Amino acid sequence: MKKITLFLAITLIFTACKDAAKDNGKLNVVTTTSMITDLVKNIGGDAINVQGLMGSGVDPHLYKASEGDVTKLVDADIIFFNGLHLEGKLVDVFEKMSSQTKTPISLAESLDKSKLIGSEYFASNYDPHVWFDIDFFKEFAKKVTNVLAEKDPKNAEIFRENEKHYLTDLDKLKNDIQGVINQLPAEKRILVTAHDAFNYFGQAYGFKVVGLQGISTATEAGVQDVQKLASFIIQYKIKAIFIESSVPKRTIEALQEAVKSKGHDVIIGGTLYSDALGNPDSLEGTYVGMYRYNIKTIVGALN
Amino acid sequence: MSSAQLEIQLIACIVAVACAIPGTFLVLRKMAMISDAISHSILPGIVVGFFITQDLNSPLLILLAALTGIITVVLVEYIQKTGLVKEDTAIGLVFPALFSIGVILIAKNANDVHLDVDAVLLGELAFAPFDRLFINGTDVGPKSLWVVGTILLITITLLILFFKELKISTFDKGLAASLGLSPAIIHYGLMSVASVTTVGAFDAVGAILVVALMIAPAAAAYLLTTDLKKMLALAISFGIFSAILGYWVAHWLDASIAGSITTVLGFVFLMVYLFAPLKGIIAVMYREKQQRTEVSLLTFLLHLKNHDEVEERHVNHLNEHINWQKVRAKTVLDLALKNNMILIENNVVSLTKKGNDFTSKAIDYIITNEDAQIEDMKDDFFLFRG
Repeated sequence: MKKITLFLAITLIFTACKDAAKDNGKLNVVTTTSMITDLVKNIGGDAINVQGLMGSGVDPHLYKASEGDVTKLVDADIIFFNGLHLEGKLVDVFEKMSSQTKTPISLAESLDKSKLIGSEYFASNYDPHVWFDIDFFKEFAKKVTNVLAEKDPKNAEIFRENEKHYLTDLDKLKNDIQGVINQLPAEKRILVTAHDAFNYFGQAYGFKVVGLQGISTATEAGVQDVQKLASFIIQYKIKAIFIESSVPKRTIEALQEAVKSKGHDVIIGGTLYSDALGNPDSLEGTYVGMYRYNIKTIVGALN
Repeated sequence: MSSAQLEIQLIACIVAVACAIPGTFLVLRKMAMISDAISHSILPGIVVGFFITQDLNSPLLILLAALTGIITVVLVEYIQKTGLVKEDTAIGLVFPALFSIGVILIAKNANDVHLDVDAVLLGELAFAPFDRLFINGTDVGPKSLWVVGTILLITITLLILFFKELKISTFDKGLAASLGLSPAIIHYGLMSVASVTTVGAFDAVGAILVVALMIAPAAAAYLLTTDLKKMLALAISFGIFSAILGYWVAHWLDASIAGSITTVLGFVFLMVYLFAPLKGIIAVMYREKQQRTEVSLLTFLLHLKNHDEVEERHVNHLNEHINWQKVRAKTVLDLALKNNMILIENNVVSLTKKGNDFTSKAIDYIITNEDAQIEDMKDDFFLFRG
């Protein structure tokens, strides 16, 4: 036991000097997925500190916490997350934190449940990829603004102003996207991707969406799934299938091979951003940029 | 350092100690992989617990998980006792069977619930400080700190109470039985502790880290000592050292804490594996090289003893007669000279009295294979220590 005490004493000594709590009077806001990070940055602007847990290309189903995330969460005043089991066990952790001086807010849980896509098999489970419906993302923006305004009334005006601009941007985005999609004939609106992330997108724009894997990327596609989907692709003469940035491309390549082995051809139409945005410095690093890029890729490859 | 960071390190250290103690005995009994097996085979316990309570957060789930862990151990022991398969095969047979029973139970009866091992046991050290225990509304610290602390306390108490029994039954089952200690009871007691520790630690730090903390420190300690108490102390020290160093590696790299601790554990084992004074790879390689030289020396001395002819003993002809490479011939000559076993006059080699005696004794030893005669030679030569 002496050794234990000694070790602890040593650690205490060489770590006592390190404490990097950010405290410049601004609200500390922690976000999970990069979509939510982008949204909160747009609403909060410079008036708050925003720290995202999941970077670009990180699959929220399989996210592993790093040491730095502990400090981010310790310092957090508000935590915005998607919910509906998107972040797995993390959601439970956030819920347990609410008894302390932190406010965890699930953005997807605050939506009207009757509008959500329920899972085929699980009565009480909903598809969590709600951000692909721009109307839902506008709801996210309103919720974020309300929470920020309530927690930081001094800056409420700034938040409201930012919200107004951002909602206009989203409306413009929605308008533009409808325009691009109208170029694609209705019978060509079939989207085949690695996992079921685009159901809300499909619902909004009349696409039939087929994912090789289920909603959770933790499950794996079976051989039968691949063969069935290959037959489906041939039957509907689908030109292109798509990779997702946060899901390994192996399974989609296997699907392409399966189609080839049946004597047909399908191209990989490009990489779509599904559960995470692109590199923060690129155009795809924002929600609006990501959506435009996805639509351009989808319509370009299928038309 | 924030209190959350301190708490994480404290939990990691306590888990390290709680794992090192049963881990030491598991490594000695060649059952190290049982902890990995338990981390999978607890699934049916969790599923049945959920069917009874309908609540994912009930403590009964963890209790039944620990019980399934013990069942795993009993089944492994039972299969192994038949003598038809070895320990590792028995482990490999039992845990996939139990795990798949759990999977089938879920698929049949609970497909609409997010029910798996991860959903019940948190298994993420980084979030341990955020899951706190409240007594009468007062915050008394992270829940997992209390859980693993209790487990550690029980483990240490049992270790102190049954140290002698554990020691005897680990090293000599027959003796233990003849002394009236039941090896079976001690065995199941130890395995139950290992099972409870695995489940409790699983919740606090995650599966891979539990397996690593049970096996790596004990395996490293095993290479350094043959004394059980020292081995326990070393295993505990390695565990704590890796837990704290691993945490700060994670801090500097902003990486997963469990991943960093596991990496440090692997590194500690690698260092010991390479540099352990007796059992380390480098020590073993050095010893083997020495032994080869000494076998050559003995061959050389025998050659001298058997040949009185001058031409057979000329330095320049040694290469041809005993068929050595030049380098080795020189090493052996130097070694023999250093030990005053030979004389070289006019490039002709002859045995000294000491060399003559040594050779006779060595021949006796090789023929009779008795240790007593060469006791005094052991200090100088590796060859006769084996």
